[in-house]
Amino acid sequence: MNNMSPEVALHRISPELRPLLCNVVRNGRVGLDSTNCLRVTDLKTGCTSLTPGPCCDRFKLHIPYAGETLKWDIIFNARYPELPPDFIFGEDAEFLPEPSELPHLVHWDAGNPECLLQLVKELIQQYHHYQCQRLRESSRLLFEYDSLLEDPNYGHNMEIYAGRKNSWTGEFSARFLLKLPVDFSNIPVYLLKDTALDPGEDVALLSVSFEDAEATQVFPKLYLSPSIEHALGGSSALHIPAFPSGGCLIDYVPQVCQLLTNKVQYVIQGYHKRREYIAAFLSHFGMGVVEYDAEGFTKLTLLLMWKDFCFLVHVDLPLYFPRDQPTLTFQSVYHFTNSGQLYSQVQKSYPYSPRWDGNEMAKRAKNHFPLSSPITKTLLKEVC
Amino acid sequence: MAASISGYTFSSVCYHSANSNSDHEGFLLGDVRQEETVSISDTQISSAELVQVVEIHNHDPCAQLFSFYDYAGKVNEENLNTILKDRRKNVIGWYRFRRNTQQQMSFREQIIHKQLTQLLGVPDLVFLLFSFISTANSSTHALEYVLFRPNRSRYNQRITLTIPNLGNTSQQEYKVSSVPNTSLNYAKVIKEHGAEFFDKDGVMKDIRTIFQVYSALQDKVQAVCGEVEQSERVKEKIQEDVNKLKQQIALRKRKTAEEERKIREAQNADSHSSPEENTEPSESSLLSRITFHTPSAPERPSTSPNPPSYTDLLSQDDSLISSSSPPTSAALLPRPQAVGSPGHPTPGPLGMGLGMGLGLDRQAAGQEDDDDDEDDDDDEDEDSSEYENLVSEGAHLPMVSASVLAQGRPAALSPDGDARGSQTT
Repeated sequence: MNNMSPEVALHRISPELRPLLCNVVRNGRVGLDSTNCLRVTDLKTGCTSLTPGPCCDRFKLHIPYAGETLKWDIIFNARYPELPPDFIFGEDAEFLPEPSELPHLVHWDAGNPECLLQLVKELIQQYHHYQCQRLRESSRLLFEYDSLLEDPNYGHNMEIYAGRKNSWTGEFSARFLLKLPVDFSNIPVYLLKDTALDPGEDVALLSVSFEDAEATQVFPKLYLSPSIEHALGGSSALHIPAFPSGGCLIDYVPQVCQLLTNKVQYVIQGYHKRREYIAAFLSHFGMGVVEYDAEGFTKLTLLLMWKDFCFLVHVDLPLYFPRDQPTLTFQSVYHFTNSGQLYSQVQKSYPYSPRWDGNEMAKRAKNHFPLSSPITKTLLKEVC
Repeated sequence: MAASISGYTFSSVCYHSANSNSDHEGFLLGDVRQEETVSISDTQISSAELVQVVEIHNHDPCAQLFSFYDYAGKVNEENLNTILKDRRKNVIGWYRFRRNTQQQMSFREQIIHKQLTQLLGVPDLVFLLFSFISTANSSTHALEYVLFRPNRSRYNQRITLTIPNLGNTSQQEYKVSSVPNTSLNYAKVIKEHGAEFFDKDGVMKDIRTIFQVYSALQDKVQAVCGEVEQSERVKEKIQEDVNKLKQQIALRKRKTAEEERKIREAQNADSHSSPEENTEPSESSLLSRITFHTPSAPERPSTSPNPPSYTDLLSQDDSLISSSSPPTSAALLPRPQAVGSPGHPTPGPLGMGLGMGLGLDRQAAGQEDDDDDEDDDDDEDEDSSEYENLVSEGAHLPMVSASVLAQGRPAALSPDGDARGSQTT
């Protein structure tokens, strides 16, 4: 029942309340981590058990916030759908927002389907203020917060969750979730296409957990939306530096930001470089080109002839080209190995420099292929 | 803090709530009193415990939701007064009923509670939360209720709510609540039929009757006490007369004995020519003296109403010793002593010194014990040692008393200081 899809949940809701909930479930993206939308579970009714359904009018709303999930109970009355709802804020028993700060509650309009979603957003804003207030228990963390707030890049895209990690020991802990202002718009489209799900908005979130009030145990973590992660070469490719002891967020966050930006730039550059490379090869080898990757420019296959001996050359361009050297695979067109594959030989080391442009690389390659003919000759010797 | 709600109020609230097709709310009327319990124990002088008791007598349901507050949760005092009217001063809390929700105060309830606390002027306003939980297939329904006092600290908010007399009243006491009875019908009926049970002072008639019986019994007891006192006094007087007479008899006997002794001495002085036969006659005279002495001497301590203490007896014996020449006679006087003690008056060999006599007594006593034990062992060797001791003691007693009796009966019969009594203690 907890993993109910939104559509099933809507079916059980009292008809008068359905539009409100519809809006929340379909359009409800609150907070920084908007890849996870709001979830509704535990549908119950406030009517007598003899009332014929559907009459559910109270449920639990799951809201992602600062790496946590808030579970708030929302209570309507199906018999009086025009009345505004009541809330139980789960474990945050001390969170009591000022009603005057919630205009959508004060001027509740049951006829407006967006009313509930707007009210929830206002509540989350109040919750954010409440959490920031709680930071006052630790002057160190308050300093971190204030310093970040001053910076316009980060100040407005911040979620904070503060509280007692362990209610017995009373250790104070806090988590900062920051949206990094990195521009992903120039990443080539193809890199972003390979994900099965709707990638949603491209976002990079940095989560920094302070396990104690003196900031001696700090654990940063970078969250990327799936498409970005794939574009940058998977989760293993991106390592952020550890939080320096005694350092502070206002220094660390821009560092991470810069690192990410550099990576993105590199990827974009790589794409263009590969394109240039392939273009150069096309112009130099012209008729010898069998096929090439016209979207990502990652592969190129040439059919060459040397003294009546034809062979294929596969060029594989890595993601971080030109930093990483392309792999050349020489393949015979005449001979099979025992396993039924075409005889091939991989060559990774050959004269190469990342500073050459595409043209230069093509010229050098052209010169190198005859030089590699001893290899071809070896091929011939071995197979014949 | 303790709280209680009368059974009928509770069931009335449940009835209203269960029959509503949405959330339901209302006010709780009652009163709060302070109870001080002073307990006295051996360790402390006293300890006083102050408990605040909240008693819910009645409830006032609201006809609809949002009847006294608006969407923002702001309480409208006018509406509040319209609902409560003159019952406002009796309000001690409010309640809310909601189905299938957590047992926790909600956002709006907290806001309303704060305002009600201020408006009604009740610092410890309570909040009773009913929640009705039904399982998915409607097979089980549970009505849960929790009483909060939200104005206290976060960790001290829940109070136990008791419903008096909800249980087995045949085993527990039936508690009478202090709910004031304002029913006119009840007052009328009691007035009509009360005369059969109550007299003019408002006391139940049965109580008076019982009290009268009690008084009569007390009078009779007092009378009997007087009679007993009188008869005791008569008895005492007679006892005194008897003692006097006994003393006179003893005195007379002593006088006659003295006279006879003088006569005999005079006779002995005459027949002084044969000295070899002296020892025998002296022995025989000793013996006769013994037979004479022993019955008379012990009678002294036994006939007085208050038996003399042991020291008195000793002093008497000492005086006896000083008056009569043979020192051994003192050792042979029966004394009220415990069995087995060195000075036990068993018939030892005559003519021996005091110490020897005592030593022999001891040994004799020991021998007796051994004999007893041996006899008992032969007869009842399976009994526990305790039994043996008891039996041996018991067997001992008649033996001892018999020996004492041989010496002089009165020792065993002296009022409280008799050998038997001292042995049993």
